[in-house]
Amino acid sequence: MFEPVLLKRASLPRSETIEVYMANGGYQALPKALEMKPAELIDLVKRSKLRGRGGAGFPTGLKWGFMTPENVTKYLCVNTDEGEPGTFKDRELVEKDPHQIIEGAIIAAYAVGAQRAFVYIRGEFFLGVKRWIKAIADAYARGFLGKNILGTSYSLDMSVHRGAGAYICGEETAMIESLEGKRGEPRLKPPYPAQIGYLRQPTLVHNVETLANVPHIVNRGAEWYASIGTEQSTGPKVFCVSGHVFRRGVYELPMGTPLHEIIYTHAGGVPGGKKVKAVIPGGASTPLLTGDELDVTMDFESLAAVGSALGTGAIIVMDEDTCIVDVARRTARFFAHESCGRCTPCRVGTQQAVRLLERIEAGEGDSRLIDQLVDLVDGMAGKTFCPMGDALVAALRGTFKFMEEFHAHVALKRCPLGLPYQEGAPIREKAPGASTHAAA
Amino acid sequence: MTNVRVTIDGQEVLVPAGSTVLEAARLAGIKISTLCDHPAIEPIGACRVCLVEIEKQRVLQPACTFPVSEGMVVHTNSERVQESRRFVLQLLFSERNHFCMFCQMSGSCELQSLAYENGLDHWEFDRAFTKFSVDASRKYFAMDHNRCILCRRCIRACDELVGNGTLGLKNRGANTIIIADLDVPFGESSCVSCGTCLQICPTGALMDRASAYMGAKNEITRVKSRCMACSVGCGVELVVRDNRVIRVEGDWEAAPNKGLLCEIGRFHPLHEERHRLRKPLVRREGILVEATWEEALRAAAQGLKAAGQEVCTVASGFVTNEEAAALQALPGAKALMGSAPVAGDGSCLGVLDEADVYIMVNTDLAKDHQVAGFAIKRSVRHRGARLVVLSDQPTKMDDWAIARWTLAEADRAVRLAAEAQMPAIIYTPEGAALAETLAAQLPRAKRVALAPLGNALGLAQAGISQGFDGQKAAAYVVVAGEAPAMPAPLASALDKADFVVAQASYREPWDQVADVLLPMPTTFEKSGTMVNTEGHAYALSAAVKVTLPSVQEMAAQLGSLL
Ligand SMILES: Cc1cc2nc3c(=O)[nH]c(=O)nc-3n(C[C@H](O)[C@H](O)[C@H](O)COP(=O)(O)O)c2cc1C
Ligand code: SF4
Ligand code: SF4
Ligand code: SF4
Ligand code: FES
Repeated sequence: MFEPVLLKRASLPRSETIEVYMANGGYQALPKALEMKPAELIDLVKRSKLRGRGGAGFPTGLKWGFMTPENVTKYLCVNTDEGEPGTFKDRELVEKDPHQIIEGAIIAAYAVGAQRAFVYIRGEFFLGVKRWIKAIADAYARGFLGKNILGTSYSLDMSVHRGAGAYICGEETAMIESLEGKRGEPRLKPPYPAQIGYLRQPTLVHNVETLANVPHIVNRGAEWYASIGTEQSTGPKVFCVSGHVFRRGVYELPMGTPLHEIIYTHAGGVPGGKKVKAVIPGGASTPLLTGDELDVTMDFESLAAVGSALGTGAIIVMDEDTCIVDVARRTARFFAHESCGRCTPCRVGTQQAVRLLERIEAGEGDSRLIDQLVDLVDGMAGKTFCPMGDALVAALRGTFKFMEEFHAHVALKRCPLGLPYQEGAPIREKAPGASTHAAA
Repeated sequence: MTNVRVTIDGQEVLVPAGSTVLEAARLAGIKISTLCDHPAIEPIGACRVCLVEIEKQRVLQPACTFPVSEGMVVHTNSERVQESRRFVLQLLFSERNHFCMFCQMSGSCELQSLAYENGLDHWEFDRAFTKFSVDASRKYFAMDHNRCILCRRCIRACDELVGNGTLGLKNRGANTIIIADLDVPFGESSCVSCGTCLQICPTGALMDRASAYMGAKNEITRVKSRCMACSVGCGVELVVRDNRVIRVEGDWEAAPNKGLLCEIGRFHPLHEERHRLRKPLVRREGILVEATWEEALRAAAQGLKAAGQEVCTVASGFVTNEEAAALQALPGAKALMGSAPVAGDGSCLGVLDEADVYIMVNTDLAKDHQVAGFAIKRSVRHRGARLVVLSDQPTKMDDWAIARWTLAEADRAVRLAAEAQMPAIIYTPEGAALAETLAAQLPRAKRVALAPLGNALGLAQAGISQGFDGQKAAAYVVVAGEAPAMPAPLASALDKADFVVAQASYREPWDQVADVLLPMPTTFEKSGTMVNTEGHAYALSAAVKVTLPSVQEMAAQLGSLL
């Protein structure tokens, strides 16, 4: 039985408090880390083979190594924007154990020489915001933050910045723009934030879960950490399971846990003994797997090998009564709603995808609509400014594994499963914000 | 700078390291279709029209932002690139109202011409677009969001070039629209009506009222000339159709303005409300009545003869070097319609894009010499430069300044600028004395003296260098051109004069004072040269043919009658 690492304290009463954190092994990694040289810490994290948990799985130690310039102001951003549909792990970590993240953040900031840390948090995380603010204040009070941390020469300030509800602001460069008080839209990459980030200074951006791992690596060593999980995906992973399962929720398991084990053993299987039709393995941006692909293990390399991705580890289970065309339409609506509007293929492509899927699902038109949808998705692929557009491409291509269901809709002029078509609220609000100004 | 070797469509070129693929292609003479890109502003890679194939890159890359590297091989027109371009254009055409036959830009629109070039012959996608209302709250041009492709050129032009930062975006995705300030009607915003956004817009979204629906690219001609309204002497392109100027645009290639113009240069000539003077008028029994050119000249000669040598000729800034030279045929003193220009230290206006502290002395560059003011605004916005206004009255530059101090507080400005690498002192004749004092205390300072009238320096070179400050004469000859108003000393002098001859393009205000009023070509209608405040001689070209006698003819004929 795997013993939880990141969620170990989460079930304790008042787990969010600094007292409970410290009584259960908290803030023990920080003094150790501050005694180490930054380069040693970077090496440690490299050896642990920790990979980012924000979606892309970029090697954390390597990213720290990019923050090379000395004697310049550097920043750390703790990405708590968690907006990927199906994902609710960061929220759990923040609400239940914020000091674990703060400790990891201080160590990361020390390793890369950052003097200032920002917590960028999704505006709707009301409890999370409160917990963050309280935790930061308590950490200051105990000398873990602020001037001369634990009597060393290292100082770090940390503050919380609330987002205004845009998915794109979870993308690291859009987050930095938003932090700077601008419209939340991605920047051109390269340069990467580690080169030019907040206020044009080197900036390290990390997901909450990534940072939560750091104190444990310092405490228990890189070898221990790397022994969990698989060769290329080490450590524990917090999976979020939702959809048609008995026990929806957050599960901390080693990387490389088989998907069917998560669904059937941990989440209790599908109600009504129904079959699993499809599973989205890593949040709405990752292509779905069919019910026949459940023996895949949940790690970066295995999911890539079956043409999907680990993403955020958000597992959405869909039983045999799920209409995949409806899934496609809802997913497209999400991306159309969240497109920042900067580049044509994403701004217009997502709208057109919604429009086509609405027509297919409603049983309008014929199979040419489906051809058009496939062409649209192929057209969008690889053309967008940031990965957001490609996320919809990936998601829709996943749904195309059920191509016969799309054809059944247009052939029968209704859903083959007999599900009613419920049109969503229009993506485009009525004459949005257009002000009416008469001719002078 | 080191060069790198890249191959574009099979052609090898050596380009400076750090160039974009688009710049490299330009050097190689290869055209890559673009839409959101414009050479005058920073690229943002938003529209994705310029995607090209770069070997060893997994996906197509935007030429406008992608940097070249040694040995790079680029294909700008492969099957894959063409298909991608058509796809992006199809999306743009489906997004909002692009029914070209109803659009004033049809025939000149960049989106439309890309569609023709790329063989778009049908609508691929549904056009289920929302209708946005048109913002027509601005005097000179309207904003039709329905034709906007969200390329953001307007935003960047207003921000990077004009330094005004009026424009921005609201909403997200499909609902994104261009707004002014915090979403107020454009006409009530901080916009200074320079029209740069209008000029840079590739589609019919920003629409000029004066020239709307008046002619497509193939029906117009463009004539490069100069604006004489102030001594910056901006290069203009006069857009002409049927022997009429329908629009004035800034010449992107011209120094010192590099495409920019201000409200006065771009819009005033086409929104002129005064009466055009096309026939000579002679005052008979107190009333101006039409006369032939000969009658009018005879009447003028008669009046001037009566005044003997007591004649003073006053020339406005709209008078060219050649016209000024011809005025020597007239008797008596010669003066400028305003104060005499003062000499700076020969700094050119380029200094305004380099200085780190500006001291604007007793003038307002948001009223006159606005394009020079834009340089200061953009420097404050983007280079961290600081502006101090020395003026006893509020100026429209105050919002860009760290402080406005009175003329008596000038030493505060000296203290502030003492540490600057390159302070620039900007002034007109009114601030000259104080500017000299400041400069004496700031050894690194550049003195940028702005001449008060359009062609003041050209007139001075032709021997008309006295400012008019009430020189007494029995009779006056005023060569006004388009001068919109009479400076106060001139008005009172003309009021008291026995006899006034004026040659002007418009009746007003000269019909109040003139005994003989002669028509004069406008700047659009004459060729010649002018000298701007930097001392550069610039050519004017007539864009419109007229049969009005020139100033040269007036001076020669009147001179011979005297
Ligand atoms: C559209 C989009 C949305 C994203 N949203 C989030 C998010 O909500 N939280 C997050 O941690 N990373 C998000 N990311 C990934 C971040 O850009 C970034 O890669 C990540 O925060 C890096 O942290 P890591 O190295 O710890 O994974 C998003 C990326 C994209 C393209
Ligand atoms: S903006 Fe261009 S493409 Fe659109 S309707 Fe006008 S001319 Fe046609
Ligand atoms: S007219 Fe000039 S100031 Fe006004 S919005 Fe356009 S660019 Fe900006
Ligand atoms: S108004 Fe014109 S320049 Fe501005 S974003 Fe729209 S199309 Fe581009
Ligand atoms: S011109 Fe390059 S993306 Fe628009």
